[in-house]
Amino acid sequence: MMTGCSGYRLSRRAALNAAAGTFLGLSVRQLLARAGADRRATAEHVILFWNGGGMTHLDTWDPKPGRPTQGEFEPIDTSVPGVQITEIFPRLSQQMHHCALIRSIAGTNGDHGRATYHLQTSYEPFPNLQHPGIGSVVVHEREGWGDLPAYISISAEAPRAGYLGQRCEAYFVGRPGERDPYLAFPAGITQVRGNERLEVLARFNDRYARRSQRPQLQAAQTSIEQAVRLMRSPALRAFDLEEENAALVERYGENEFGRGALLARRLVEEGVRFVQINRGGFDVHANAFPAMRAHGEVMDPALAALIEDLAASGLLEKTLVIMLSEFGRTPMVNKDAGRDHWAAVFSCFMAGGGVRGGTVVGSSDRNGEQPHDRPVQVPDLHATVCYALGIDHNKEVMTPLGRPMKLVNGGEPVVELFG
Amino acid sequence: MVDRTVRARAGKRLIAAAMVVAVGGAWGWAAAAAPRATQREAGAQPGPAGQPPAIAQALDAVLAAENQGRKLVEAPLVDDLAFLRRVTVDLIGRIPTVEEIDAYLALPAEVRREQTIDRLLADPRFADRWSVFFADMLRIRSGAAGGEQFLAFVHAAVEQDMPYDEMCRRLLAANGRPSAVPEVGWVLGDNANPMALAGATAQVFLGVRIACAECHDHPFDKWTREQFYGLAAYFGKTQRVESALTQRVYTTEAEQTTVLWPPEDVARGGPRAPMPPAFPFELVSAEGRQPGYIERLAALRAAQAAATQKAREETVVEDLLADADRALEAGQTDGAPQGAGLDLLDVQAEARRDAQRLNVQADLYRPSMLRQELASLLTDPRNLQFARNLVNRLWHELLGRGFVEPVDDFSDNNPPSHPKTLDYLAEEFVASGYQFRAIVRAIVSSRAYQRAQLYDVPEAQRQGSEAAFVAAPLRRMLAEALYDSIVQAGHLFSEKWGPGENVKTVRQLVQIPVEGEQPLAPLDSGGERMRGSMPAQAMVVDASGYDLETAVEVDFDAVLAAAAEELKLEQMQAASREELEAEMSMAGESAMRRYVERFVEVEIDDNPRFASAMRMASPAAPSHFLRIFGQPAREALGDHRDHSANMRQALLMLNGKLTHEASRVGTLEPIYELVCGRQPDLAAAVRYAYREILTRDPTDEELAEGLAIVQRQDAPRKGMADLRWVLFNCHEFRFLP
Repeated sequence: MMTGCSGYRLSRRAALNAAAGTFLGLSVRQLLARAGADRRATAEHVILFWNGGGMTHLDTWDPKPGRPTQGEFEPIDTSVPGVQITEIFPRLSQQMHHCALIRSIAGTNGDHGRATYHLQTSYEPFPNLQHPGIGSVVVHEREGWGDLPAYISISAEAPRAGYLGQRCEAYFVGRPGERDPYLAFPAGITQVRGNERLEVLARFNDRYARRSQRPQLQAAQTSIEQAVRLMRSPALRAFDLEEENAALVERYGENEFGRGALLARRLVEEGVRFVQINRGGFDVHANAFPAMRAHGEVMDPALAALIEDLAASGLLEKTLVIMLSEFGRTPMVNKDAGRDHWAAVFSCFMAGGGVRGGTVVGSSDRNGEQPHDRPVQVPDLHATVCYALGIDHNKEVMTPLGRPMKLVNGGEPVVELFG
Repeated sequence: MVDRTVRARAGKRLIAAAMVVAVGGAWGWAAAAAPRATQREAGAQPGPAGQPPAIAQALDAVLAAENQGRKLVEAPLVDDLAFLRRVTVDLIGRIPTVEEIDAYLALPAEVRREQTIDRLLADPRFADRWSVFFADMLRIRSGAAGGEQFLAFVHAAVEQDMPYDEMCRRLLAANGRPSAVPEVGWVLGDNANPMALAGATAQVFLGVRIACAECHDHPFDKWTREQFYGLAAYFGKTQRVESALTQRVYTTEAEQTTVLWPPEDVARGGPRAPMPPAFPFELVSAEGRQPGYIERLAALRAAQAAATQKAREETVVEDLLADADRALEAGQTDGAPQGAGLDLLDVQAEARRDAQRLNVQADLYRPSMLRQELASLLTDPRNLQFARNLVNRLWHELLGRGFVEPVDDFSDNNPPSHPKTLDYLAEEFVASGYQFRAIVRAIVSSRAYQRAQLYDVPEAQRQGSEAAFVAAPLRRMLAEALYDSIVQAGHLFSEKWGPGENVKTVRQLVQIPVEGEQPLAPLDSGGERMRGSMPAQAMVVDASGYDLETAVEVDFDAVLAAAAEELKLEQMQAASREELEAEMSMAGESAMRRYVERFVEVEIDDNPRFASAMRMASPAAPSHFLRIFGQPAREALGDHRDHSANMRQALLMLNGKLTHEASRVGTLEPIYELVCGRQPDLAAAVRYAYREILTRDPTDEELAEGLAIVQRQDAPRKGMADLRWVLFNCHEFRFLP
């Protein structure tokens, strides 16, 4: 029963839940296998890095050396012969044998709002319907393991769950590495006093519920019990980065992004299904190169350390890491030494979860302006995430108004990513 | 900490005048500039002492007749204190204060309820609380283009008793910029998309779902695609324009319609012609004698028109403004806040400028003729469904269940539980001149509203009684009312500690430049992060990370007063753009600045205040207290409030700063003397806490239990904080009696 999660630090309760989750996972996969659709869905978790603002593809995953669109960065070799990325990722380049790139995403929107919605939900915005983000889709189909919430968003809010409802909303962690004040009694309230309060509260509520027997009261009581269980769960120590030794924290980087990546790893180890880490500042209309160099200095160590650690613990096989942005940037550098919005082609980074290390799917043309071969549509990315987890991306669910909606807006998984 | 802007209530009349100017008086809301008393006269007349108003009595009679022959266990009326708590929460969105309880009990029993209803209808918070109702219904999003102004418009409409039909006509027909025509937010909210607006208009104003007919004839209902297209055609010439230069958003009317028939998938490349607009809903026959309620409305409106006409003859726009000047001066002498005067002068100047500009741009921003036609058909008194929809939603809000559920699904397959009662209320609403306060008064004065809950009867019987409105269901407070009730009873609307009483050390994140220079200012802990890619507003309560309970009050008057302020508009546009263009500003600056982040210990005087949840930008950020307690996102149609319990609610209540600070006994609170004074009276303190938090006195057992809790800790002040924490957290607090 424990095959899906050996090496996890599990509480007893978590172990029970984990067993249930594995059972669920297996049964769905067996169904898929019967339908002949199963290749090798090995992913159990997703870590999504959301880079808001539109990250330049040419200065990161898709360098164009010697072309007029190259910009200021040089390409560097990676641990995969023949695959180059730019110099702002020196440490990550040495993990490339665990990683994959798609260089031919064909976007449709150059507006931040619309493109963000499209990339995060696979649907175009529609005025009076809210589509769920990919994280909500995943936890709708796969419950979490253990005591922690199934879906956690770090540093900014995740997209909404829309018609999938409150259960599929992300738990929001504003500041990785800082104490989440809502998971413990307020400062100044000792454990003894806090527990006394809970005891008295239970007595008051019992008395009220005995007189007025209503299902809402049972639900309210259950919500308190769940909260208290989480507050007392040993799994909460995943949030406490001070547990890690200083050298390790240093490897990820002593900044919010580094702490976020380290926290994501620890959350996945505790059984969290979907972690989204948000970072902004990629809308580089001016002075793109110093800005991207600074981004590299933050992102490179964190990503490299995360991939390295996940690979070392064996968790990478079960964890799909993906870095997305709403679009790329203009190949020609503008008069302010910046790049503007460019959706016609851009790239994304992936690793783990069954993705074959060293794979590069598709390419852009020689100036990085259009897809050259194997164009990948935005819903294909969502279908790929579902595929990695063994989720049927064409499954229909009903909205509260009774309108059937597909989990993903069509699309086909990019199967050549998988081994 | 909490940023509370000075309200400029004295500016009411002036703003009203500016709005009349802004719309060119097309719909003649001139009455709004008149004192409210004249509006009130049209409302329900209170009955003689001890008797509910006639409408309420008649309502109960119709309901009783419809329940005739059903075997029902009827609940008695709620007792006086329970009624006070229920009606105060329902009408002004918070529990009553101890002073209000004392004043209520001092009234003669036979007029207590009626006088309390009148007091609450006149309370400034009435408009705050019912803006929440309309914001839910109209899906108003402060973060959307024009949303902030739209919310302020609805708030002003409720505050000043704008007739409901007029409010709807205005927002359906409006064109222009949100800064000058705040009600244009309705059209902008759906991006002026004709198909979206057609579906939303039917569902929101009539409670009828025809949006499915956009793509196919309705499978279970009577609506056809052709009818849907006919309705959409009223919106076919409406265009949303965003100026790339000024980043201003406005709507205007094009020459050509975008709604063509047959639909693209049917035409398959063949010819398509402009779809003629057609109103798909039936009006009652105009032949013969009008129904009585329509005649009453006509008589009322004729009288109002005569009064308005008289006022018009004597008043032109410049006079209105001069009038406002006088009001301003009068306001200043009778104690209006200092500083408000300057704002008002600005408003006046701006209103004048706006009037001039409007002449130039009148063509661009003229109201839509097509949508004016739609608006008059929709709000025609012969279209009783328009009134039914509103009273059904209101009944749902006040009694926990509509005659039709869900409230936006009137259909032949889903008939009302009490059609005669529903129609009676709808007709009275029409006859009252669509007076919102009048219909609220009628409902809360009725026996149906004042029923107690049923205990100790079998489940099926209880449900039957609740469905027949002869017993009250268990209802949880709205998120906003729960929040405000804690703030109120916890004395957190103002500071409850003296300076220096709460000095403490907190961990804070600072950025230190790599070059090893001085630390920069502490990071704004949360504002940016909470925003993410979604339009939502959040600010920081304090430095210790309680970001999910923040409250920033929006000054609705100022939003409207700023009507003509170009600069302000551009700032707001910039702000909303900033939210959409996630982090654009961070790109240039922070990404280039190289730094490491370190936690440092900082000393602060933590003396928090909270603003009203009813006056915040809304919806709040997705993980905010209000959203977790069910405030809807207001994006999708049918996105109703969710009152169900979840774990994150419990975490916020058990561990959050709001409940914690509300529970602590502040030195400036009335209860402080009873707990910590020279002659403490702990029994009196326990009684006070029960009254203040649960609006009732404790039983003898509860008093003894409360005393034991208070005395369990080493200091009674801590024990009292424990008792109050339990009272705030217990079921009885959040569920209405």
